[in-house]
Amino acid sequence: MNNEKLDKLLSAAHREAPPTPPADFEADVLRAIRRETPTPREGVSVFDQLNLLFPKIAWVAIFIICFCVAGEIVSSLNSPSLGDGMAELSDQWMFTGKGF
Amino acid sequence: MVNDDAELVERIRGGAPDDFSEIVRRHQSHVFAILFRYERDHQRLEDLAQETFLKAWRGLGQFDGRAPFQHWLSKIAVRVALDHVRRQQRRRNEVALPELGDDALDWLHMDDGKNELETNQAREILEVALRELSPAERIVITLQEIEGRSVKEISALTGSSSVAVRVRAMRARAKLKKALEQLEKNDEQRKTRQAA
Repeated sequence: MNNEKLDKLLSAAHREAPPTPPADFEADVLRAIRRETPTPREGVSVFDQLNLLFPKIAWVAIFIICFCVAGEIVSSLNSPSLGDGMAELSDQWMFTGKGF
Repeated sequence: MVNDDAELVERIRGGAPDDFSEIVRRHQSHVFAILFRYERDHQRLEDLAQETFLKAWRGLGQFDGRAPFQHWLSKIAVRVALDHVRRQQRRRNEVALPELGDDALDWLHMDDGKNELETNQAREILEVALRELSPAERIVITLQEIEGRSVKEISALTGSSSVAVRVRAMRARAKLKKALEQLEKNDEQRKTRQAA
């Protein structure tokens, strides 16, 4: 097998015409696509995902803040304030035997 | 009617999936022309072409428009062809492979090969001989010697460096030559056995 003969074989293969795609090929492809996933989306980054989640995260944050504020208000109604506690402590300190 | 492929891709990404049929219509012949070198059976060839377009659909988000769409699609088709050749090679021992016809064998035995060779005979011979090459070598020799693509093009299509493509092409050509010589020898031995 010399190079000339090999080239002849390869060029004969090169001359072969490709087959024509069938008429309904594009319809077949579209059918296959419909069976697949919906519309392709561009690469979704972490930031895109956070943006998508943002409304939910915001609502949860607002709920937590409101819950904490409400808890603080309720607890302050039932117990003496920090200022009262300090005044009581200093009174006790002043009138004990260890005082001035 | 959108003329530019990149613009059409943008429309599809924007929520017009049916426009993908226009992409298929524009590029189906090109995809068939790449893939038919690796599969003779028309139904299986259609399956490979469909697989190529499905992969393009799935990866549409990665098309950045820097290179022409057809080039991007060709890369996918070459990848599909490579996977197909690999699968074929794995099944090699499980399925009966076609044998060479008498006309093809006669041409192989000619000293100079000056007689014209029919394209289907050439394909028949190459189909048998190319089995001796690795899938990557087969892809490179088909792209370079049969399709007539440049090293630079093959490098871009396969993702291998130009040097790697050159080395692989040289090795593939040498292996192909050896495989063709072996085919000749095998046939001579067969004829001798039949005569005895």
